[in-house]
Amino acid sequence: MINLLIILGKVVEFFSKKLKLGSGSTWPGHLALFFDKDFVKKVLKKNPHLKIIIVAGTNGKTTTVSLIKHILKKLNYKVFSNNEGANLLNGVASALIKNSFINGKIDYDYAVFEADEFFLPVILKEIIPESLIILNLFRDQLDRYGEVNTIAKKWLYALKTINNKTNFFINGDDPQLYAFGRHLSRVFFFGIDQKLMKKNFLKNDIDSIFCPLCFQVLEYEKISYSHLGKFSCQKCGFRNDKVFRIDKEKISYPLLGLYNVYNINGVYLFFEKIFSLEFFKFNQLIKDFSPSFGRQEKIVYQKRKFLFFLAKNPAGFNQNLETIYFLLKKQKGKFFVILNNRIPDGRDVSWIWDIDFSIIKNKADFFVVAGDRGFDMAVRLKYEFFSKIEVYENLFEAIKRIIFLTKEDDLIIVLPTYSAMIDLRKILTGKKYE
Amino acid sequence: MSNLSLNLVWLYPDLMNTYGDRGNILAFLYRAKKRKIDLKIITVSLKDSSDLILQADILFMGGAQDTQQEIVNKDLFSKKGRFLKEMIEKDIPGLYICGGYQFLGRFYKTSDGKILPGLEIFDIYTESPKTQAKRLIGDLIIKSKLFPNRYLVGFENHNGRTYLGKKVSPLGKVIFGGGNNGKDQTEGMIYKNSIGSYMHGPILPKNPELTDFLIEKALEIKYKKKIKLKKIDDGFEKKAKKQVLKKIKIKFK
Repeated sequence: MINLLIILGKVVEFFSKKLKLGSGSTWPGHLALFFDKDFVKKVLKKNPHLKIIIVAGTNGKTTTVSLIKHILKKLNYKVFSNNEGANLLNGVASALIKNSFINGKIDYDYAVFEADEFFLPVILKEIIPESLIILNLFRDQLDRYGEVNTIAKKWLYALKTINNKTNFFINGDDPQLYAFGRHLSRVFFFGIDQKLMKKNFLKNDIDSIFCPLCFQVLEYEKISYSHLGKFSCQKCGFRNDKVFRIDKEKISYPLLGLYNVYNINGVYLFFEKIFSLEFFKFNQLIKDFSPSFGRQEKIVYQKRKFLFFLAKNPAGFNQNLETIYFLLKKQKGKFFVILNNRIPDGRDVSWIWDIDFSIIKNKADFFVVAGDRGFDMAVRLKYEFFSKIEVYENLFEAIKRIIFLTKEDDLIIVLPTYSAMIDLRKILTGKKYE
Repeated sequence: MSNLSLNLVWLYPDLMNTYGDRGNILAFLYRAKKRKIDLKIITVSLKDSSDLILQADILFMGGAQDTQQEIVNKDLFSKKGRFLKEMIEKDIPGLYICGGYQFLGRFYKTSDGKILPGLEIFDIYTESPKTQAKRLIGDLIIKSKLFPNRYLVGFENHNGRTYLGKKVSPLGKVIFGGGNNGKDQTEGMIYKNSIGSYMHGPILPKNPELTDFLIEKALEIKYKKKIKLKKIDDGFEKKAKKQVLKKIKIKFK
């Protein structure tokens, strides 16, 4: 039966690719699961040698999966993953179909899967990973995912069911995630060097500032961003003192931004514990790592440098702005903001009001704004007292305008939501014309 | 019209700020500043002294997640609630969104029938529906008698169903979306100069007429005379609203 489903899946994948249906990374698995809900379990049972790593979290999944893959390949392992965004169970099943022979055998050593926040518990019912990496938990698409606390509860329940079978690598600077550790046996917490934490005040994108044990508001000694930092509870003594803080000099980070320091430290901790990899070797392996598209990706178009900073939630956006602030130094930024509210972006655009634009106050030359909800973004910027804001409902017109406003070699900072990033990339790389 | 000033008391900004509700504060700040009104924000949370609330010319409270709401509920009951009631009864204008709106009602009935008492300032009550009922999520469009010729636009995301009593009137009639309870086509509530609503979006940046209405009311109460705000450019705000309305009309077809 499984063999049949794999063949069916491969046929579906072949045709969706041929016909450019664009659903090749979810449909084969969707069908297989429809005919046999235990499909994933059964395929994995046939392949006991295949080790699985799952990456979960609100932000940074794609970058982290791709970094782990990058390193494993360099260590001469055969590795595959699910497609970006195809991170529900059907995406995982599709990846298994794609990478197996028709007899169900998989000739790979590792599979690295990113898991959607909402579907992590569902995925963990089918898969017991060798390691699970949890990056963070921020508010994101509240209309779809529900509230952060609800997700945390569901995660913990799911994690307990695989305890003793899995190594957990958890961001220990997140209070709710750190509290998971009390219920898990093989758990390692990653964090960042305290020297990289500057602030001692909280921003507007916070979610988890209360003690997960006694509900007292937490005291932060230092904060890296959002609700991540070094914290303690004055009432019950809960504190994140078991976090493995990597000295910032030890790793040569190939990506910008504190959020990437977390991602990379998490990956390092994983390789250190499982592969006994040392800093020197790790640095060598990540040196030539380049990010996935849309994440600090640079595209040259009409001799201008478009630098992409994908974000679809406040924590991600704020981290991008902070990174941009340091990147710009004394220059003023030429900003291209595109706000869509399609399904992958989240239907509700309220989140843009949790972005802290004051980080780039006096740092903006102009904003060209586009997207399905461009005017919402324009109001957002206007109410932050930015002055040069222009809105174009048509993306091509917006691009023309931004070319007009800039000169050769200029850096254009692109702040798109997910579907906006995909759209703009297509145009800038010549795959879509007016 | 110079030297006008207002104090805005923002209740529990650290705990009750889940869906970008802070945008409402930014809307007040922007629109006051454009009229040269000195608007001061006073944040009042768990550790702050309760009588700070008495300095308010405008009050604001946003929505929150369940755990945060529990913490706030305790604090309101033991400390700040009576000050808040005093101000609301004294006609001090205020905006209360989602969780903040529900708190001030008579009670909240959970899905398993437990009754959680509210502050009993507004004659409303809220119940959590049985598990089968869907959360009300999506664009919310209403017509309000405050602005007869216009729509108010927002985004709702709530589980609780709120029902209005006789001492309050609805903020508006639902044109699209769920509103208070998804049944009686009412959305939000008006009591004296207080407005309760399920509209995120956030509500004020999207609906500048409502921001101005609250500012004018606050000035009127404080300076004991009607003060008409001068018009300012609302181009982006109007078009943002239009972008939503256009989408919905397409859906209607």
